Amino acid sequence: MAGNGGPWGGNGSGGDQDPRGNNGNRPPPRRPNEGAPMPEIDELMKRGQEQLRVLMGGRGGGNGAGGAGGGDGGPLLTKSGLVFAGLAAVALWGFMSFYTVKPEESSVELFLGEFSGVGVEGLNFAPWPLVSAEIVQTTRQRGTIIGSGANGEMDNGLMLTRDQNIVDIQFEVVWNINDPAKYLFNLADPEDTIRAVSESAMRDIIARSELAPILNRDRGVIAADLQEAVQGTLDSYNSGISVIRVNFDRADPPSEVIDAFREVQAAQQERDRLEKEADAYANRVTAGARGQAAQLREEAEGYRAQVVNNAEGEASRFLAVYAEYIKAPEVTRERMYLETMERVLGGMNKVILDGVASGEGGQGVVPFLPLNELGGMAKGAAATTTEGSN
Amino acid sequence: MRSAVILPAIALIFGLISSSLFIVDERQKALVLQFGQVKQVVDKPGLGFKIPFIQEVIRYEDRILGLPTRPLEVTPLDDRRLVVDAFARWRIVDLEVFRRAVGAGGEAAARVNLDQIINAEIRTVLGSVPSRNVLSEDRTMLMNQIRDNARVKALALGVDVIDVRLTRTDLPKQNLDATFARMRAERQREATDEIARGNEAAQGVRAAADRTVIEVTSEARRDAEVIRGEADAERNAIYAQAFGQDPEFFTFTRSLTSYERALQGGNSSIVMQPDSAFFDYLNNPNGRSTAPAAQ
Repeated sequence: MAGNGGPWGGNGSGGDQDPRGNNGNRPPPRRPNEGAPMPEIDELMKRGQEQLRVLMGGRGGGNGAGGAGGGDGGPLLTKSGLVFAGLAAVALWGFMSFYTVKPEESSVELFLGEFSGVGVEGLNFAPWPLVSAEIVQTTRQRGTIIGSGANGEMDNGLMLTRDQNIVDIQFEVVWNINDPAKYLFNLADPEDTIRAVSESAMRDIIARSELAPILNRDRGVIAADLQEAVQGTLDSYNSGISVIRVNFDRADPPSEVIDAFREVQAAQQERDRLEKEADAYANRVTAGARGQAAQLREEAEGYRAQVVNNAEGEASRFLAVYAEYIKAPEVTRERMYLETMERVLGGMNKVILDGVASGEGGQGVVPFLPLNELGGMAKGAAATTTEGSN
Repeated sequence: MRSAVILPAIALIFGLISSSLFIVDERQKALVLQFGQVKQVVDKPGLGFKIPFIQEVIRYEDRILGLPTRPLEVTPLDDRRLVVDAFARWRIVDLEVFRRAVGAGGEAAARVNLDQIINAEIRTVLGSVPSRNVLSEDRTMLMNQIRDNARVKALALGVDVIDVRLTRTDLPKQNLDATFARMRAERQREATDEIARGNEAAQGVRAAADRTVIEVTSEARRDAEVIRGEADAERNAIYAQAFGQDPEFFTFTRSLTSYERALQGGNSSIVMQPDSAFFDYLNNPNGRSTAPAAQ
């Protein structure tokens, strides 16, 4: 506010076009850069207005707030004002004409609206107002996502396949600009174009494929086909857009039927399990059978060995005895008989009945025999199975 | 005082120049009208001149414009309805024709007209083929056909239809549930089939295994019986060969062995008469008359 009192006229040297320099003359707001920026701007504007007035009307409002004494310092002030204005205009023109281009950008220059060239990275000069420049972010990669549902209800990613199934697709097209001039001059709405072209191309591809390959093995092929198709269409528009890659994010059955797809997977596992279990069973029982077979054979062999050995033993025993027997048959025979009977009868209960008693004893002794001890033999007691007869 | 004259004069001249010059951008075309009459068609970018105040410049977009169509239900030959939407890319090529055809409405009016043209062509072209062609390699051909037909008609608007592409060719919403149900049924069929095939294979494997078991064990049994038979035969041969030398003596010794085995164990009792051979000397030291004879 203090600046009001002493405008530029008071300086004497109006040539100083730097507002900061002017400020420097005033004691109160000594470098009040951070303290009070507003007054500076305020003051600057006022000065500008006055300069304009000087420029236009010839007589500057001059010193002080009033327009008094127009003729006083008029010429002097007007002259320095013009210089100042001229320099300001040059500065402004320079500001308007120079521009910078960042690494990821390119600029397109138009001479009177006509395309004249592409600016390179760094500082560029486009003399205003004949040449105007537009800066385009060329190399920066941008992604357009389709099928995420972000673009309203229609963008749900559900697509119809050739076999009339529905598949849920989401993908991203990553692109940048390879020709900024074409990009600017040929497409009114590049982003929408990319979106529409990509979706159309994807639906086109999906409509030509069956559901099953889309879900798994054809994904890579589809992404490559899509990139080619989108690039081809964009090239036919002369769009200056380059498709860098396609990210095929999702190709799933729709959520309404995904459970059924999972059931199929479960069923495949189940099938595997059933087959494995059957294999296990087969392995178990056949191995058991082989074991049993081996056992049967071994038992039979064992039996053979046993039987043959027994027979051979018995035979050889018989032959040995017979060889001796043949030398003295009667004696040996009697001896063998007696020895055997001795052993046999020695271990048993014996009842010896005299022949007379036995002859009529049917009524005599026999009834008193302890039949319960003799067991089943009682009946034959009278007949008396005398082994001697053998 | 001089400046009071000069400055307005400069301003006037400046104003005149600026209103008689116009710049057409690379992205634009322009039409110069004089009281409504077309005086100039500017389709090259750059600086242009016109008579101030009585001529006006109307600028038009020279870039490719997009036009999405509204979803539209078409009926292909086989009467299965499809919901179709498309987008067109178009560009104003002939400004004069364009202006005369669409009037002062410009782009917006042209869009309405184009939309109608393209919708009509979509209906015509897609209505002439069965729906399975729409979902096939023919799709591209159909799109090109729509584009070509629309292009001819759009020429009357001064517009070039660069491209028409089908985006959505879907079943109507009412059919969606049926489609989902069919998809589910197909999956269930597949799942059932998987399990059935699993059971089939498992049962086959089990049956084969059971058969193998029976085969293996029966073979083993057969072999075992053969072996046993051979063994018995061999035993018989051995016995026959040995005992055949004196059958009577064999009977004798074998009987003795049998008595010993059969009557052992202390649980047998026997009732004997003293006149059995064993007791020959029990009552008579000289033995029985037969006994000496036997000895």
